[in-house]
Amino acid sequence: MRIHLAVLIAAIAAALACSPHLQAQSSLGSAGAKAQQPGLMSGGIPDLSGIWDADFHGPEGLRLNTWDSSDPFAKHPEQAPMTPWAAQKFKDVRPPFGALQTFDNTNDPVQRFCDPPGVPRIYMYPWELTFIPTPKIVYILYEYTKVWRAIYMDRDHPKDPESSWMGDSVGKYEGDTFVIDTIGFNDKTWLDQTGHPHSDALHVIERFRRLDHDRLELSVTIDDPKAYTKIFSNTKVFRLTSAPMGETLCAYSEMKEFQEKVVDKTQTPPSK
Amino acid sequence: MLKRGIVGRRIVKRILLVVLAAVGSLAMFAGSVMAHHGVAGYDMTKTVTLHGTVAKFDWSNPHVVVYVDAKNEGGEMQHWTIEFAAPVHMVRAGWSKNSMKAGDDIIIETHPSRNGAPVGITSTITFILKTVVNGQALPGRSE
Repeated sequence: MRIHLAVLIAAIAAALACSPHLQAQSSLGSAGAKAQQPGLMSGGIPDLSGIWDADFHGPEGLRLNTWDSSDPFAKHPEQAPMTPWAAQKFKDVRPPFGALQTFDNTNDPVQRFCDPPGVPRIYMYPWELTFIPTPKIVYILYEYTKVWRAIYMDRDHPKDPESSWMGDSVGKYEGDTFVIDTIGFNDKTWLDQTGHPHSDALHVIERFRRLDHDRLELSVTIDDPKAYTKIFSNTKVFRLTSAPMGETLCAYSEMKEFQEKVVDKTQTPPSK
Repeated sequence: MLKRGIVGRRIVKRILLVVLAAVGSLAMFAGSVMAHHGVAGYDMTKTVTLHGTVAKFDWSNPHVVVYVDAKNEGGEMQHWTIEFAAPVHMVRAGWSKNSMKAGDDIIIETHPSRNGAPVGITSTITFILKTVVNGQALPGRSE
């Protein structure tokens, strides 16, 4: 772990110091970055450099509440193709988003306990991300909670990976697309904002592809035979931004204070 | 002429339907998701305007909060708690920790709590309602 952290820190420092793309963005802003117009490929692989914002404002940035393309905004989250095991778990969730959203005693593990959102739910928040490629590992840094992942480019999954919040990820380049294959999750996170559960058999495939200079498309495919009767997927688009990544840590003390001072007061009847 | 008038009305009707559908869709999206939680606790169809004094401006995660002392229509002083988006998002919208301070005069629009408590939401990632501090309007964003 120490080695990974050291590599990560060195990679971030190297990227920030050497990347002309990042320098251009930080010094020139989006107008300068546009004027630079680098290719979408660099050295034969997709150029994913820069900071990508989960664009919540443009029409393509409309945020998702589920990964099921037939119900992306969770109008009927109960109709997802869940197995009886998953359907039973879903009955107990009190999500703060979607058609079944409630403010009253939500049991969203992220909101209640600052649990890591996991993969792929991390992409449903309105925050930035950036890629730090190194020869053997591509790191993804997420603005939300400052969590990061290591995508191993030089190995397959372990035969029996440890269960973890963000899973074990291996990657490869397919033409203009960066493909990430992840397994080895625990079953503590929600798949999405509406509380759809997943099992420890969850298998997630992410495919990142630049649509053009300013837009990065992410396609997420969910395969979890214990929890769902079919494989499903959806896409969302990120937008290149000049805004530096900020601090959005989920501090339990702050969440608790916000819960007591704001959220609890909106509950019915008012708790205070 | 009559026929053209009917056709014209049909076209207007169709345009109105498209506009209504678009507005409805935007309203659905705007109300469906925000940074940390949904907006189920607030009545997003209502907007109230308060004129009062900033009691405290809490610039912290997960959401910026301002506490406002304002009199209601009956002249009774109420202590409002109003939330905004996260600090990072407010910075990107042009706000800062110095946008207001205790003692400032404030005029602020907010979507009130459904249960009648003096709690409201003035901003999420998608919108910032009108906020005027000491006569100066802070950056907003349409819903």
